[in-house]
Amino acid sequence: MNDFPINNAALNSLTNHKAPQLNININISYQQFDLAIALPIPLKGITGIFGHSASGKSTLLRAIAGLETTLTGEITLVDTSLISKRLVSKTLVNSEQGIYLKPEQRQVGLVFQNSRLFSHLTVLGNLEYAVKRCKNSRLSLAEVIKLTELSALLDQEVNQLSGGQQQRVALARAILAEPKLLLLDEPLSALDRHSKIQLLKMMLNIQKQLSLPMLYVSHSLDELQQVCDTLLVLAQGKVVSFGNIHHVIHQLNNNPECDLIQQQTSLSLPIKTFNNGHGLTALALNAQQDIFLSCDQAFEQQTQLRCFILASDISIILTEPTNSSIVNHLFGTIKQINPQQNNVLLTVICGSQDFFVTISAFSQQKLSLTLRQQVYLQFKASAVRTFIH
Amino acid sequence: MINSDLQALITTLEMATLTTIILLLIGTPLAWYLAKMTSRFKVIIEAVVALPLVLPPTVLGFYLLIAFSPEYLPGQMWQQATGQQLAFSFSAIVIGSVLYSLPFVVQPLQKAFEQLGDSLLEAGALLGAGPIDRFFTIVLPLTKASFITAASLGFAHTVGEFGIILMIGGNIPGETRVLSIALFDHVEAFDYARAHLLSISLLISSMVLLAAIYWLNLPKRNKPKDLTVNTKREEQSADE
Repeated sequence: MNDFPINNAALNSLTNHKAPQLNININISYQQFDLAIALPIPLKGITGIFGHSASGKSTLLRAIAGLETTLTGEITLVDTSLISKRLVSKTLVNSEQGIYLKPEQRQVGLVFQNSRLFSHLTVLGNLEYAVKRCKNSRLSLAEVIKLTELSALLDQEVNQLSGGQQQRVALARAILAEPKLLLLDEPLSALDRHSKIQLLKMMLNIQKQLSLPMLYVSHSLDELQQVCDTLLVLAQGKVVSFGNIHHVIHQLNNNPECDLIQQQTSLSLPIKTFNNGHGLTALALNAQQDIFLSCDQAFEQQTQLRCFILASDISIILTEPTNSSIVNHLFGTIKQINPQQNNVLLTVICGSQDFFVTISAFSQQKLSLTLRQQVYLQFKASAVRTFIH
Repeated sequence: MINSDLQALITTLEMATLTTIILLLIGTPLAWYLAKMTSRFKVIIEAVVALPLVLPPTVLGFYLLIAFSPEYLPGQMWQQATGQQLAFSFSAIVIGSVLYSLPFVVQPLQKAFEQLGDSLLEAGALLGAGPIDRFFTIVLPLTKASFITAASLGFAHTVGEFGIILMIGGNIPGETRVLSIALFDHVEAFDYARAHLLSISLLISSMVLLAAIYWLNLPKRNKPKDLTVNTKREEQSADE
C-alpha cells in the first residue's frame, strides 16, 4: 500500500486510530482508466486532493459520495457518534460483503463544480429542500444563511444568480443536510478571482465554525495551499504523495517524473509586524530572520499567514547584499543540488526551513556552488505570494 | 346535438380519459426505463413503442381482434376473469387505445427524462432524498411541461382514433360507438348536416387543446436572461 513516498512516522501521526478518519481501499476500472487507492484520510480540517485532469480526483470523490457504482473494495467512515460521543465506524461500501450504501444513506455532502441547484425552487426553497430531509437538525437555517451571506438573496430565482452566488447557495444547501464529511469537487473553477477568494474564505470560516471535515478537490495548487492542512496528490489514478501540505509540495518539487506543480517554497508563518511603517508586513521565519511582503489590510486580523515563493523568483548571492532594492535576504546552507535540464534546483536550509531555488546551470557553474556551501537567498517582497488576501 | 351523438361524445370522453390515466401510469415508468437504459436492446423496445406511429391502425386492430376473441389465450383469460367477452367491449377499445397512443406519451416523457439527466438527481440524493422523493420533488416539477404535452397528445390522439376501434369495438351505442365512428355513420347515411356538426366540433376542440398545450409550454419570461447567465459561466470555465 505504501508505494508512494511518505515516511511511516508521518503516516502514523496522521492516521491516529482514535480520531475520525475515512478509510479507503478501492479499485475502479474503466476502459482507459484505472483507479487504485488505499489510504486512511484523517477527517480534520480541509484535506486537499490535487492532480491534473483525468488523475482520478473527481472519481474518488464520487466513489466516496456513492455516485460511482462500479467499484470494488471498501470505504469506511470513522466518526464521533452524536449520541454516545464515541467513535463509530460506518461502512459505506464493502464489495466483498455486498454492502453498498446509497448516496442518501451516507451523510456525505458534495458541492459540484456546476452548482446543480433546483431551478424550480427559489434560493430559500433550495435550502429548505436540504433542511426537510435532514435527520438531526443541529444547525439552524438562519445560522447557515448568515455564514454564507445569503440573506439578501433568499427570494431570488436561482437562475438569476451569478456563478459565485450559485456556489454559495450550493455550499449552504450541502451544509444544511448536516453531512459528517463535505466533499468539494472543483467548486471554484468556474468563478472569477474575486468570487474564488470570497468562497475560499467562507469555506475556511465554515470549516472552523462547524468543525466540519472537508475533502477539497482542485487542480489549482494556489487555492489548496491557502486552505488545506493535508494534501493528497493523485496522478493516473494512483497516490503520488500524501501528508502535511507543505511537506507534500516540497516533495513534489524534487519529483522529476510528475511535472505537477511550479516548484516553490510553501510556508505558514506567524505575522510579527503587521506594518513596519513602510508598507511591509514582517513574517517571523525564525528567531533571527524575517520575511517581508507587501502589507495588505486583510492581514490585520490574522496571526498566521500562508504564503509561497516560486523557486524561479529566488536568486543566490555569495555575499550579503547591502545596497539592493530587494528586501529579503536570507542566510542559509545548500542542502541539495538537483540538476534538471538547463536549470538546477537547489534546496537551501535557512534555520530549520527548506527553501527551493532554481537557477540556471550556467549560474551554478559560474558561482561553483557545492553542497554545504553558505549562501544568501534574495527575493523581492512581491515574490512572496498569497492567494486569498 | 342529437341524443345518440351525445352518447357517442360521452363514450369518447370516457374512453380517452381512462386511456390517458392508464397511459401515464404505464408510460412514465417505461419512459424512465428507456431514458436510463444503456443496453443494446433499447432500440428494439423503442421501435416497438413507436410502431403505432407507422403501422396502419387496421393492422393493429386486426391482430388485437384475434387476440381478444374467445378462441385465443388473452381473450380466454379475460373471459375467465370477468365473465364477459373482451372483443367488441368498452374494455377492448381502451386496451387498443392504450397500445395505439403509447408513443405519444412515452416519447415526450423519455426525451424530457433524458434532457433532465442525472446531475440534479445526484444532488438530491446527496441531500438525503430517496428515489420516490426525488421523482416527486425534482423530476415531476422540472418535466411538468412534458407531462402536460404527453397527457394532452395521448388524450387527443385517442379521441381521434377510428380504424382500430372499428376493428375491435364495432359500433355498439353506449359501449363502443365513439365520435369518429358516429361521424362515419352519418356520412354513410348521407346525413351531412350532422356530419358537419360533429366534424366542426371535433376540429375546434382539437385546435383549442393543441393551442392550450403550446401556450402552457411557452418559455417563461425570464428564460432569455437564464441563457445569458449560463453562457457567461461557460465562457468563464472555458477560460480556465
